Amino acid sequence: MGVLDGQVACITGGTRGIGRAIAEAFVREGANVVINGRSENKGRQAVAEMNAGDAVHFIAADIKQRQNCDDLVDATVAKYGRIDILVANAGGGSDYAPIVDLTDEAMQNAMVFSFWHTFWTMRKAFGYMIPQRSGRVIAISSVEGKIGKPTISPYVASKHAINGLVKSASKEVGTVGITVNALCPGAIETDEMKTEGPGAAAAMGITYEGLLDIFANESAIKRLNEVEDVANVALLLASPAGAGITGSLISIDGGTSPY
Amino acid sequence: MNNTIVRKLEGKVACITGGTRSIGRAIAEAFLAEGASVVVNGRDTVKGEASLSEMNAGDRAAFFAGDASRQETCEGIVDYAIERFGHLDICVLNSGGVLNTAPVAQMSDEEWRLEIDWNLNHVFWGMRRALQHMIPRQSGRVIVTSSVEGKLGKPGIPGYVTTKHAVNGLVKSAAQEVGTLGITVNAILPGIIETDIVRATGPESAVAMGLAGYDEMIALFCADSAIKRPNRVEEVAAVAVLLASDAARNMTGCLFPVDGGSMPY
Repeated sequence: MGVLDGQVACITGGTRGIGRAIAEAFVREGANVVINGRSENKGRQAVAEMNAGDAVHFIAADIKQRQNCDDLVDATVAKYGRIDILVANAGGGSDYAPIVDLTDEAMQNAMVFSFWHTFWTMRKAFGYMIPQRSGRVIAISSVEGKIGKPTISPYVASKHAINGLVKSASKEVGTVGITVNALCPGAIETDEMKTEGPGAAAAMGITYEGLLDIFANESAIKRLNEVEDVANVALLLASPAGAGITGSLISIDGGTSPY
Repeated sequence: MNNTIVRKLEGKVACITGGTRSIGRAIAEAFLAEGASVVVNGRDTVKGEASLSEMNAGDRAAFFAGDASRQETCEGIVDYAIERFGHLDICVLNSGGVLNTAPVAQMSDEEWRLEIDWNLNHVFWGMRRALQHMIPRQSGRVIVTSSVEGKLGKPGIPGYVTTKHAVNGLVKSAAQEVGTLGITVNAILPGIIETDIVRATGPESAVAMGLAGYDEMIALFCADSAIKRPNRVEEVAAVAVLLASDAARNMTGCLFPVDGGSMPY
């Protein structure tokens, strides 16, 4: 028997990387889990690989659109009857540059991808969780939600914004059985990192390997993090034992963040 | 589905300063449930024996008598765990509390020293001994029970607030020293929990804080939080199990809140 028996989770992103690791951990502990992504093919592949029968369900949606965020939460409830856990996991950025050269589009893209989608899905999920007086919202922030590197300001700003939203939201729903927390992982070599990292590194005037070295070297463990590190903490927060933890920005960064 | 129960601390050895009651006891029970052998500690041998009998874990639980504000106890429990169970994987420096309360202006040197010894030096002495054992083994977990008062500050309990801030600094520094050696060092920062020690010292703390009584002090702490209730020892124990497990190998230098949303950062 698992610590999430009978619980229903919705994870934005979730076909690969951190979201996928969280989905697998939740399913292992008895939850029914909706995973999300833009590509039907990748979704089908993820569901097949997870091999969890009806406990995992893929919904294709581009969460950069508000309506899609609302629909994703509604579809989770339609599929499994309720929503207990929201993991706002998708996010990222592109077209990084020093602020003096940064385009509006690059800033807006990161803010929509990371921050607005977190807000939209959280608002929609609260609509279900507040009446049922229980719920867990877990936002996947970043070590860059606490510190800041040059040239990736859209990413840094969007993750800091998520952390502020989490703190404020936790105060609103603290007495109605809902917790809201952010996980702040250090760099992990996910597919997303492999896709976006080279562009970010180029904008910083370094190689992709050089960028990964910066992340590793600023940590105490001198290596990158792994998706399972994040999934373990997500599981704790989602479990009954996590009921007393809210408004927290939990560092999973090998000792990088100063606070 | 895979229903095999995999215990997270199978074969691990832990020592916990304090541990006969409240947070330390909850951690001890959680560790035992996950397969670890555990040495708990306290000053009172009668309470220690009673806790062993209540935990009912047979040879996997042991008691080490001693005052955690004394160096020989902090080093002794580490040595005893190694002697008794062969090695030490997890050192939980949990003992501590509000010893003597007074505003800074009325604080005596003697009271100040006692609080530094109990809440800060105890952590340093235990951590140093544990790291001396763990560094050659390239493996280990150090977990310090800090407090929300390690980031906040309330009036009337300056010794507690100061020492909890200090252990957070010690944890960060130690984490950087041993980060590449397979050893993690973390602090858990609980909000107010109605433990035996809070019930015992709370009335006096409340007076020092300028409050009407114990209930008002608990209410003050709860008002800081988003959940408007005290935390529970089981909530701390669950985090301790996570940090002690192999799964948390990449979490270090972390000040992990279990405070219902009380701290600003």
